[in-house]
Amino acid sequence: MSPAEKERHHRFLRSFTAHEPAIRAHVRRLVPARADADDVMQEISVVLWEKFDTLHEGADFKAWAFGVARFEVLAWLRDRGRDRLVLDEEVITKIAEETTAIEPLLERQREALELCMQKVPEEHRGLLMQAYQPDSSIQTVAQGSGRTVPGFYQWLHRMRKLLLDCIRRALTQEVAS
Amino acid sequence: MKADLAALTAAYLDGTITPPQMQQLNALLLSDAAARREFAELLNVDSALAALAADWTPPQITAKPAKPTRWLTASPRWLAAAACISLLLGAWFWQDTHRAFATVGKAAGVVELADGATLRGETYDISAGSISLITARGARIVIEAPAEFRFESAQRLHMKRGRLAADVPPSAKGFTVITPTGDAVDLGTRFGVDVPSSGSAEVHVFQGEVITKASGAQANQSLRGGDAVSFDQGASTSRELRSSAFIQPDELPGLTAGLAAGQRVRSAAAVAALKQDPALIALLDFESAEELPGVYRRVQGRWPGSHAPEFVNVGGHLKLDVGGGRDWPQLTLAAWVRIDRLGAPYQSLLHTDGWSLNNPGQVHWIINRDTTMRLALIGNTLAPSSKEQTSHPDSLTPVLPEQGRWVHLAVVYDSTRGTVRFYLNGRFDKEVHLEIAHPARLGPAQIGNWNQQDRKLSGRVDELLLLGRAMSDDELRGLHAAGNPYR
Repeated sequence: MSPAEKERHHRFLRSFTAHEPAIRAHVRRLVPARADADDVMQEISVVLWEKFDTLHEGADFKAWAFGVARFEVLAWLRDRGRDRLVLDEEVITKIAEETTAIEPLLERQREALELCMQKVPEEHRGLLMQAYQPDSSIQTVAQGSGRTVPGFYQWLHRMRKLLLDCIRRALTQEVAS
Repeated sequence: MKADLAALTAAYLDGTITPPQMQQLNALLLSDAAARREFAELLNVDSALAALAADWTPPQITAKPAKPTRWLTASPRWLAAAACISLLLGAWFWQDTHRAFATVGKAAGVVELADGATLRGETYDISAGSISLITARGARIVIEAPAEFRFESAQRLHMKRGRLAADVPPSAKGFTVITPTGDAVDLGTRFGVDVPSSGSAEVHVFQGEVITKASGAQANQSLRGGDAVSFDQGASTSRELRSSAFIQPDELPGLTAGLAAGQRVRSAAAVAALKQDPALIALLDFESAEELPGVYRRVQGRWPGSHAPEFVNVGGHLKLDVGGGRDWPQLTLAAWVRIDRLGAPYQSLLHTDGWSLNNPGQVHWIINRDTTMRLALIGNTLAPSSKEQTSHPDSLTPVLPEQGRWVHLAVVYDSTRGTVRFYLNGRFDKEVHLEIAHPARLGPAQIGNWNQQDRKLSGRVDELLLLGRAMSDDELRGLHAAGNPYR
């Protein structure tokens, strides 16, 4: 590998590593399941790497990556989503545009989750983390918690809503102080 | 409308949504911007939870070995590209996805962990020394032994016992230390946590803001720079800041270099030589199993696994009774100390109990409010030419650094010449001339406080020397050089 190529790889990796969580979160907002987001992320990382040359030095990697991500999500929907229950293209386009505009806020919200998790009792926190493990089986986690699967899903919804409320409150306080 | 959105989103996320419901959800999201916003923020939380979970290890269960999930089922195009990328850049990807919670920067005298070791969810027990760590989010941490700790994630550290100083950049905001009696959540700052083997944990904020919560307490408490609390039975009690109690991240390189340069051996040799000195009155290195009476904590001294008394609260002290029943025309006092700038009138290094005008020559060695050092012998008077502000000899240079570090303090008294000479870190600081100079008298004394009045000292004292002769400038330079833990 020539020094110039090596340098290019490093530049790509620095940018990609820095923005990967935001890109993944962006994709997650557009597809039904986390596993879908993982699939699309694989495609996206390939495309970003292949097209990295077309990005000017000093250009906004994240904004560019969000654009690529939206395109890849739509392509994924057309390929695989036909038989699935997914968001309409129009809805996806709107959400992608709107959330790109408020990404700084969404990023702060993601950061604030950690603070809000402190307020969750330890055993519930453990349960949430188990449910969100990359390879978790909801059935097993639900059983372990003594709930039915639908009951456990209900609980997860409540927790997500509570956490979002907490996050919003935390950020309002941040602005106020 | 709202209720519809919540129910539809729930079904969508569970994967139980029906085609008519999906149509409904799409219609709702298309027409209602507020609904889109709500939906997007909820899914944003979902991805943040997944990111947090990826960093999470169940308590007491060691990390699972990394496994190549989804890779095998991926498309051929992805596989080809992945092979290419991972060939070129693989280590990066791998490290990023299977990243440790923290990495050891420097291990100073810690045998259980080596430089560069990666830490995940296991429990670590270090018996001696200090260790610097950098978390995956960039927080710099120093933990001093004896300590037992475990990372739950890169952002959550459980401290069962031990002492920790953290320097937390914005990227690691929210870094949390969990102790048996309470938690500290950092908001981008520098702070310390002390979890003694017995007694309450304490949180000290050097800079920025930290949120603390005592176990069982209802409310959180916000601490700013200069604040400190101890967690007592489910409540946070304010206490005085102990900044010198913590080894800071930028102190560790000097300590590591000192160890590597063999300072510990040189120090031991110097101590052994002093013990042979015919004029020796006492040399307290606090290493003998026999504990001196008093109220103090026995903590780590200048060397990994060595010991030193630490004075924490008002009234903390250590008693000794040496050199009584005779006169000492010459006297050298020296010690390694690591103490706070308190702003209290005096901190006690050594106070003889017999201080009274009937007993001239009794010795008080103290640190003044302005952190200069004082040697007072009762009954002595300054020479008429002296320019001292008070009636006692004081050193010129403040002897305590802004931030706690080990410093070597010494004073040489010579009643035959009528002089008091001060030394800081082996360097001569100032000489004061006396008109009346009684021979020094010792006997029952206290370090860290004084019976008749609170003269609290906050910090540690190591290698306290009382020598019945006047040491020379060269000897004191050598004493500092031999005992210096830094390089």
